[in-house]
Amino acid sequence: MTSDMPAKTAAKRILIVDDEPRYLRLLEANLKTEGYLVVKAADGLQALEVFSAHPVDLILLDIMMPRLDGFGVCQRIREFSNVPIMVLTAKGSEQDRVRGLDLGADDYLVKPFSASELLARVRAVLRRAQPPAPQTDARYFVHDDLRIDLARAEVWRGGHQVSLSATEYRLLLQFAYHIGKILTSEDLLTGVWGPEYKSDKEILWVSIARLRQKLEDDAHNPRHIVTRSGLGYLMPPIEA
Amino acid sequence: MPIEPSTLSTLHLLRAAARSGSDWKSAFDNLLIQVRADFMYDNVALYLLDTRRRNLEVARARAAGRGRRFEADTNWGEALAGEVLSRNETIEREPVTAANEDRLQRPYVIGLPISMAGRTEGALIFVRFGGPEFSETHRLLAEWIADTVGSLLESRGLLAARSELEQAQRQIRMQDDFVSNISHELRTPLGFIKGYTTSLLRRDTSWDENTQREFLSIIEEESDRLTQLIENMLESARLQSHTTKFHLQPVRLDSLVQDVVTRLRLAHPDLHIRTEIAEVPPISGDAARLVQVFDNLFGNALKYAPGSLLTVGVSSGDRRVRFSLEDRGPGIPEEYLPFLFDRFYRVDADASATGTGLGLYICRQIILAHHGKIWVESVPDQGATFFVELPVEP
Repeated sequence: MTSDMPAKTAAKRILIVDDEPRYLRLLEANLKTEGYLVVKAADGLQALEVFSAHPVDLILLDIMMPRLDGFGVCQRIREFSNVPIMVLTAKGSEQDRVRGLDLGADDYLVKPFSASELLARVRAVLRRAQPPAPQTDARYFVHDDLRIDLARAEVWRGGHQVSLSATEYRLLLQFAYHIGKILTSEDLLTGVWGPEYKSDKEILWVSIARLRQKLEDDAHNPRHIVTRSGLGYLMPPIEA
Repeated sequence: MPIEPSTLSTLHLLRAAARSGSDWKSAFDNLLIQVRADFMYDNVALYLLDTRRRNLEVARARAAGRGRRFEADTNWGEALAGEVLSRNETIEREPVTAANEDRLQRPYVIGLPISMAGRTEGALIFVRFGGPEFSETHRLLAEWIADTVGSLLESRGLLAARSELEQAQRQIRMQDDFVSNISHELRTPLGFIKGYTTSLLRRDTSWDENTQREFLSIIEEESDRLTQLIENMLESARLQSHTTKFHLQPVRLDSLVQDVVTRLRLAHPDLHIRTEIAEVPPISGDAARLVQVFDNLFGNALKYAPGSLLTVGVSSGDRRVRFSLEDRGPGIPEEYLPFLFDRFYRVDADASATGTGLGLYICRQIILAHHGKIWVESVPDQGATFFVELPVEP
């Protein structure tokens, strides 16, 4: 993998946050072999300080930490940034996972994890964070009060710009590119997150819910992203 | 018919009596003392069904006046109580013959059902030896008393049930916490073992020899921690359930502590340690267990106050022997002190230090089994002192 890294592109910078020095060491050692630059923080408050000083491409965030826990960090960072965040959670705590995603995390990694699992997830999240190559020549996509500027990867609703995370933007594009077509959970998970996520329905549910919160007037009666019970989701065509 | 003011005030007094007292028994007693001014009786007994609802048991009995001699004997009411219960109605009995000279042989008895939450749960029996017979007014008053006793028992029963329920809920919560703590404690070393092993196993990279050794040492330490954790958990479970056997014999704490310190100096040659060990009378103790306590306290001092001067004291007075271990480390913030000896408690700020949260808990259990005390005093930034106090053999 290391030899495949193109030397021209700037190395990705990753902030790792954990109160256990041995986790920091584990993450750092493995990430460095892949050519990532690593910055570290030992608790939530330090993470916020480091993040405001160093722009990073990804944050790996432990949940259980003194001073300010991972949920708190996630929530505060999401107030001003869409940087990809991956939370590290303990196995079996589904609630933690969902809560992390609810607060705007892009992905989660369950402890204990293997080194290759860690690196694969990191690659997947960074891949999703790249602006997707446009699949159409059109500059704009319009759906009712929703307008996507495909060239600048910006989303507008009414007259206001909506701030979406990279994952949410990719998810929205899936619908826009397949307007009127029902997309299954598997389609969406594979298309947005990657084939290794195809059975990870939780992450999809939470992301759809977040997207609706941002795009719909009434998230319970959505007009842009509609559920077809038992089948999947679709963006209905606008009647002319 | 207008209610007489005197009737109202009687009812008021009776009601107040029924609400008084810290438990239903004293409320019952107060009510029956109060009622005697208007309702004469010699003996009264309250029969209630047992928890299996099979047999009637005397829950409360009082004797007054002529009935005092029969205080302990409540058999006179049992048959009637059974009948009241099965018929669920007030029953009166008069003596077969009014001619007997001995009043005690001429009981006038009234039995009233006691119901709680709509079910008949027992009977209240009043006796008058030698009369007079119960008038209509007295019957009504007796029914009112039975009714009041029923609701008294019902409300106290509800209170008791609620506190039982709360107790059960606390137990369940503690068990939940225990399970989640245990799984967290076990998972932490496992996470490192898994993470560092899979790092070494990666085929797409190679680690230099130093890094390999570093990772392998971490894996080794974390396996040891896991072993230690499991041993501690078993130990604390045994101490908790009091299945640990203590071999008590006379122990000289001064020489025992001196041995621990000597061993410690050998293991840590550059340790700064000062001893103030006086000659003390023997205590009754399990030497191996006490060594375990001192080892643990020294281990903590080395871990949390590295490089600090340690002062060890052993002294006696007031039929007690006292051990103290003082360090000049960072100290322990006051808010953590009350919880330090709790099971699985670990000071948040010390997440960097490894530990199981069981060490001090085990120490406390061992010292408690010796009828001793263990505690800590600390001034932040100046250090902490742990104390153990054990009673001198009588």
